[in-house]
Amino acid sequence: MELEEMKTLWEEMSLKVEKQQLVTDQLIMEMTQQKYRNKFSKLFMYEASGAVVCYIMAIFMLFNMDKLDTWYLLACGILCVGFLAILPFFSLRSLNRIKRLEISNYSYKETLVRFAKSKKRMLLLQRLGLYISPLFFLMVLPVTNKMFNDKDMFQSDISAFPWVFVGIFFVFIILFSRWGYGCYKSMTNSAENVLKELDD
Amino acid sequence: MQPKQDFIQTIKDNEGIIYKITRVYAKDVEDQKDLYQEIVYQLWKSFDTFKGQSKISTWMYRVALNTSIAHLNREKKKGHKVSVDSEHMDRLHVSLGKVQEPQLGSTGSQWQEQIDLLYAHIKELNLIEKGLILLFLEGKAYEEIAAITGFTVTNVGTRLTRIKQKLKTNIQK
Repeated sequence: MELEEMKTLWEEMSLKVEKQQLVTDQLIMEMTQQKYRNKFSKLFMYEASGAVVCYIMAIFMLFNMDKLDTWYLLACGILCVGFLAILPFFSLRSLNRIKRLEISNYSYKETLVRFAKSKKRMLLLQRLGLYISPLFFLMVLPVTNKMFNDKDMFQSDISAFPWVFVGIFFVFIILFSRWGYGCYKSMTNSAENVLKELDD
Repeated sequence: MQPKQDFIQTIKDNEGIIYKITRVYAKDVEDQKDLYQEIVYQLWKSFDTFKGQSKISTWMYRVALNTSIAHLNREKKKGHKVSVDSEHMDRLHVSLGKVQEPQLGSTGSQWQEQIDLLYAHIKELNLIEKGLILLFLEGKAYEEIAAITGFTVTNVGTRLTRIKQKLKTNIQK
């Protein structure tokens, strides 16, 4: 197929499509209703629910901080509260930016730049989350054990601890992180390529 | 005329634009239907603010192309589909599935194959190239392409020359 043929074919198809009348008045009005826009809102809702759980946990930990009677438990507790408060905030902010973007205000080029940048930010955040989660797991165990059972895991009988599950969990986390890193890297590269090409 | 009626008429007059853009950017018919809805919604949202500063088709292309990029980003993030359907939307799904055969030239199925091939070649291009070639095929002048995309007229010309060359190579493969 030559380029000229492509153009002729496109024109033929355009004429045909114009005669098709794909949509009715009622369908157009249905499409303008908010109910059709719930896909992204749903994702936002999932993220928001996750954030609420994180904040409840953070508040609970803050109110029970006095139970952490050693410097290392206190340090773990503070870091846990920090993670629980900061990560969901950034994630929601990033999603909110995408959600609130006024599409009609920008040109195609500006929209491409905005989305490539927001994608890079989002990917960086997700990557951070991926690395922080095993750390968080390591710290939240002694903190919750102290808060709920009043036991200092660092000083209790090491042999009684379910090390097998921790081992399995860590192997899973390492494999998952390696897989996730590959995915994020290729997605970030594609966003960077868009930005680079727009600069040409 | 009431804004709603005005809007309905605008969409009906230009529904071919939305069809072609959704076909280029969506990965399948289901996705095309979702994108179609999203574009109509975004057009409705900005219909009041569109005060005829530009041609209606320029505004439509701009909103539809931008929505397509946003849709691609959201599609990757949402992870799963949550579609709200109605009888009308099901009908649209069927209609989008195939553009009917033309009365001219080659036989219908051959024509359909050529159309599919044409879209396949365009889909191979990256996001920047897709938008530009689509507007070129739509017969838009470089000035209007520049107004829609935000590139300079010279840049549009340079890019289109490169894209045509790339398409030519891809077609000959």
